[in-house]
Amino acid sequence: MERMHSRWLMLLAPAAMALMTVGQYFIWIYAPEEATMGLVQKIFYFHLPLAWWAFAAFFGVFVSSILVLVTKREDWDVWAAALAEAGVLLSGLALVSGSVWGRAAWNTWWTWDPRLSTTLVMWFVYAGYLVLRAADVGGAKAARVRAVLGIVAFLDVPLVFVSARLWRSIHPSVFASKSGGLEPEMWTTVWINVLAWGVLCTALVLTRYHGMTLRHRVEAALVRMQEKTLQ
Amino acid sequence: MMGARPLLRLDAVSHFFGSRLIFKGVTCALEPGSIMLVAGPNGAGKSTLLKIMAGLLTPQAGRVERTVPDRAMAFMGHQTFIYPSLSALANLEFWDALYGRRLDQAGIMALLDRVGLKAFALEAAGTFSRGMAQRLSLARALLVDPLLLFLDEPATGLDKASLTLLHGELEKARIRGAGIVWISHDLERDLPRADTLLRLGGRAMTYFGPASGLDVEGS
Amino acid sequence: MIGHAMAVAHKDLRLAFAHGQGPVQAILLGLLLVFMFSLSAQPGERFTPQQGVAIFWLCSAFGVVLIFSLLFRFEEENDTATALLLSPLPIQGLWLGKTMAGFVLLALCQVFFFPAALVFLGLDPGGSLGSMLVMVVSVDLGLCILGGLVGAMGHGQGAKDALLTIIVFPLQIPLLLGGIRIGVGLMQGEDLAGLGDWFGLVLAFDAVFAGAALFLFPHVFRGE
Repeated sequence: MERMHSRWLMLLAPAAMALMTVGQYFIWIYAPEEATMGLVQKIFYFHLPLAWWAFAAFFGVFVSSILVLVTKREDWDVWAAALAEAGVLLSGLALVSGSVWGRAAWNTWWTWDPRLSTTLVMWFVYAGYLVLRAADVGGAKAARVRAVLGIVAFLDVPLVFVSARLWRSIHPSVFASKSGGLEPEMWTTVWINVLAWGVLCTALVLTRYHGMTLRHRVEAALVRMQEKTLQ
Repeated sequence: MMGARPLLRLDAVSHFFGSRLIFKGVTCALEPGSIMLVAGPNGAGKSTLLKIMAGLLTPQAGRVERTVPDRAMAFMGHQTFIYPSLSALANLEFWDALYGRRLDQAGIMALLDRVGLKAFALEAAGTFSRGMAQRLSLARALLVDPLLLFLDEPATGLDKASLTLLHGELEKARIRGAGIVWISHDLERDLPRADTLLRLGGRAMTYFGPASGLDVEGS
Repeated sequence: MIGHAMAVAHKDLRLAFAHGQGPVQAILLGLLLVFMFSLSAQPGERFTPQQGVAIFWLCSAFGVVLIFSLLFRFEEENDTATALLLSPLPIQGLWLGKTMAGFVLLALCQVFFFPAALVFLGLDPGGSLGSMLVMVVSVDLGLCILGGLVGAMGHGQGAKDALLTIIVFPLQIPLLLGGIRIGVGLMQGEDLAGLGDWFGLVLAFDAVFAGAALFLFPHVFRGE
């Protein structure tokens, strides 16, 4: 298992680097400059993959949390941790890039928009989730308590989104609108960058999973050593 | 009495906390109307074993079979299971409600009388001395007319009168056909009352069998 | 299970009022918050209904955290939690009982928050009292359903209340938005039917988390 993970990592990390480089080429050279927004529009090629993969990572936390409860295997808990970390990082970057976009497009750093607000609330929820993890809430049954939290957090997402949408909406809906659609070259750039971030994100999660399992093993080995010396 | 279906049976039960083995290979059975004494040095896992028997913990390996439903099972642990801000009466009323409201207020008062707490029925349980709290805890256990009774060092901090009361009530329960599992530190005092002895030590069960004829020191 | 839950709720309310205290801590904090928010306007200036209703729900959100940490603290002394696990009480009954007790205590707090918001924030109460009650009850239900589930996570953890707020508050957001929007709408003379979307959202929240709690609570509150 361990070996398999590190083999995947050996493959994924260089692939992520290569894809990110190609992605940059597509963003800055291949894709045409957007007529009304100019250079600022290029933020979109970062923002969208970040937001998507953040959401995917949170969904991953949800699935791993269910698996913790169903299979009672603790390694799913480690997956949930790794995915939550990645999700918080990516959604944080998505928020910053979205904010810069908002400044350029709507002349404000922050505005109430359902997707932006949903992302912010999710960032809060999962950042809180990580803090609770670090604080070891739940004692001996910690893994299951955290799993419950991981499930509840995701159940909240659609409710947050609907409520934020009812509250107010101005986000450009790229897919729904016909006039504001993207050029085919722009779409190619979007997909390449989505792929690049996906591979990078997977590599990140694997690295963290690997690191955390190693730490658990070292800690367990240390306890055994101490027990031996005490006997 | 032997030959009846055992109230409780453990088959090759092992338990770990994390990767640390607590004990392995515990196999035993508890017949109706008998007392099983559990003994062993500190940290041998006696309380853990009791929790496994009561269904509070699930062992990592082995099987636990109980033929007694939850509502006929009572547990007296280190902790008294008492709400200190409620009166003795209110405490018992609550547990009675959870166990299906078998007693009315008069019945509960009679029970408090049985453990010598009738005069303190309306006082907050938090003001009770250790001995009184243990008596209330005993009343809580007797509330359900238990068929299966788990005791984790119930004699700790009890005075002579309370101890006599405890032993008397256990004897009554045994005669009624209840099975009792009893963790004790004082083998000299308690072994003569027991039918079987289960001894833990060195992360395993070292003895399970009849209690009679055992030498307290050497066993 | 309902009978068991009622027994738990009855016992918890008895405990909460045993020293004549009740949810005094939550009430006091709420009143303090209302007063402190009143500092954000010039003396004599009136708050908009939106500000007033938002502050009211903020006080309730803090109140819920304090109430449920109190309710689960009851099971820590003398390890009554273990006794509950050993009893025939279905463990979801414990969640339901705590949720019911929390609901009563929260409603009691709001009896104090409401006039305080009127006085300190200079609000005009308007709209139908009946609709207002329906709204408050359905939002309170959601707050308590979630509080009963998340509150148990802090159980046996000592002073983890502050930590739990950072997860409870963001989860409450849809409810709070709903409570604010419906409250403002009602104060401005709309009727519940016109606020159907929001009302549906609040009820959906109640239903989703009640369902989740029934499944998940046993994993949170266990002896192991």
